Amino acid sequence: MKFSRDRSETRFAYALLAPSLILIALLIGYPMVYNVVISFQHVPLNPRMSSTFIGLKNYLSVLKDLTFYQSVLVTFAFTALVTFFSTIVGLAMAIYLNRDFFGKRVVNGIVILSYVVPSVCLIFAWRYMFNNIYGIINYAVVDVLHLTGKAPLWFDNPTSAFLLAAFFSIWRFFPYAYMAFVAALQSIDQSLYEAADIDGATFWDRFQAITLPALKPTLVTVVSLRMIWAFYIYTEVYLLTKQVDVIGVYLYDMAFATHDFGKAACISILLFFVIFACIIFVRKKVLRYNEEEA
Amino acid sequence: MRKRHNRPGFYIGVILILIFLLFPFVIMLSVAVKSTKETIGFPPTVIPRTFTLEHFAAIFNAQIFPFLTYFKNSIYIAVTVSCLAVFFGILGGYALAKVHFTGKRIVSDLFYFVYMFSGILLIVPLFKLLSSIGLSNSREAVIICMIVQTVPTAIYMTRSYFETIPKELEEAGRVDGLSRMGIIFRIVVPLSTSGLVSVFVYAFMIAWNDVLFSSIFINSAEKMPLTIGLNALFDTPDYIWGRMMAASLVTSLPIVIMYMFSQRLIRSGSTEGGVKG
Repeated sequence: MKFSRDRSETRFAYALLAPSLILIALLIGYPMVYNVVISFQHVPLNPRMSSTFIGLKNYLSVLKDLTFYQSVLVTFAFTALVTFFSTIVGLAMAIYLNRDFFGKRVVNGIVILSYVVPSVCLIFAWRYMFNNIYGIINYAVVDVLHLTGKAPLWFDNPTSAFLLAAFFSIWRFFPYAYMAFVAALQSIDQSLYEAADIDGATFWDRFQAITLPALKPTLVTVVSLRMIWAFYIYTEVYLLTKQVDVIGVYLYDMAFATHDFGKAACISILLFFVIFACIIFVRKKVLRYNEEEA
Repeated sequence: MRKRHNRPGFYIGVILILIFLLFPFVIMLSVAVKSTKETIGFPPTVIPRTFTLEHFAAIFNAQIFPFLTYFKNSIYIAVTVSCLAVFFGILGGYALAKVHFTGKRIVSDLFYFVYMFSGILLIVPLFKLLSSIGLSNSREAVIICMIVQTVPTAIYMTRSYFETIPKELEEAGRVDGLSRMGIIFRIVVPLSTSGLVSVFVYAFMIAWNDVLFSSIFINSAEKMPLTIGLNALFDTPDYIWGRMMAASLVTSLPIVIMYMFSQRLIRSGSTEGGVKG
């Protein structure tokens, strides 16, 4: 009797999940397989001409291409910078603002602004601020503070464009970490801090002994998710500057500027393995870790 | 919350944080209301010396700026995506929260995988696939892709709201002769309104901010949403900063208002649920 009830429950659950699962199968599952097929093909520009199987040629030409490795390196550096600083800034701000003060609600509302507003809009403001001729940043750096004699061309030099893209992404994404840490901080038992105060603990003692251990599961989750998302970033970098070829931009350009679909598919396969490895790692370590903690 | 007296130094820190957070927005607002001559003048000004609303007037004038067309397209895409995400979220979230079934762990893992996954890896096959069924240059292609991007989170969010609804209320519904679907839509959904609003806002934000799929699937100006429409204008040689900033502010507004509204709803709605939470 119980068995048949379980079976009807299972059927009911899958009926409810069917729309989402079908959609995922059609728009994630099937394209993933199709991607593998395309990566072994030469895809002609004319959509009416059929693609031809060329074996591993796409892979060989991507793996022989120096710009591919360059873009992988740039992506690693970008991911490291953005993950590290967006997490640290979010954490520091969450700890700093974790107390009662005048205007707390307003400040909390303002913190998430850079995270929810469309990146296009933010990027207009940044491109204006960092404009070579009338930008306020160059005015401050050159004419007011006299840090350099010559105004830096922020968007035209690969190094400064890279730093700017990283800085922008940190500014845009740190609220995600902030919100996660604020929620985690609220669940810490305040009597622990009171006890530490009686023992005469310094801020650093309290942080190491109470705050950090309590935040660890959140920290691990935030870092891993941000790492994965930063690794395949496209929109923010592409809109801000054409000088920083992170792998997402490289892939997009290969598909829609160079129009080499075969090679683009092959880059996505390579990228997929990197990200898949990350996801498996996250599943294994982070989630199990969180479950143990909880 | 730690009870400590806040020293003035603390508020200096808060002010520095606010400057860090708000400076680009201040610039946006300042450029939107100053004259074009002042926007490209030197030295740059933070507080405008001239004041004009001509840029706001310009973006709402269809003759000189296609803002309203883009706005309509964005609304169409974002509202459709969020309605469907909420609907799929209700169904899937209920299954994960309230039904015991075989394979729950796998389904839940699958959604988590899709959540971490990104569209950029699938742009080539998705483009080929959707254009082969006649969905090239169409807003519907963007909608379909955005639903897949938002549904896993929508389901996770609704699941956590539904989990707080006590079983007794559902039992009561069953006694009253409601079907399973009746219980979901007549009891569970009305009790989770504030949660579902935040699912809607989340999906709306993702769809409203999308650049990737819109830029792949839409190439004619009359179908463009705000994000890629405005970006396309940026790359023309005669862009006017004031107009771009005014357009940016108006583009940001719906998201900011919805977000603030949903936060307030969640705060006031945290005690809802019929029985003690």
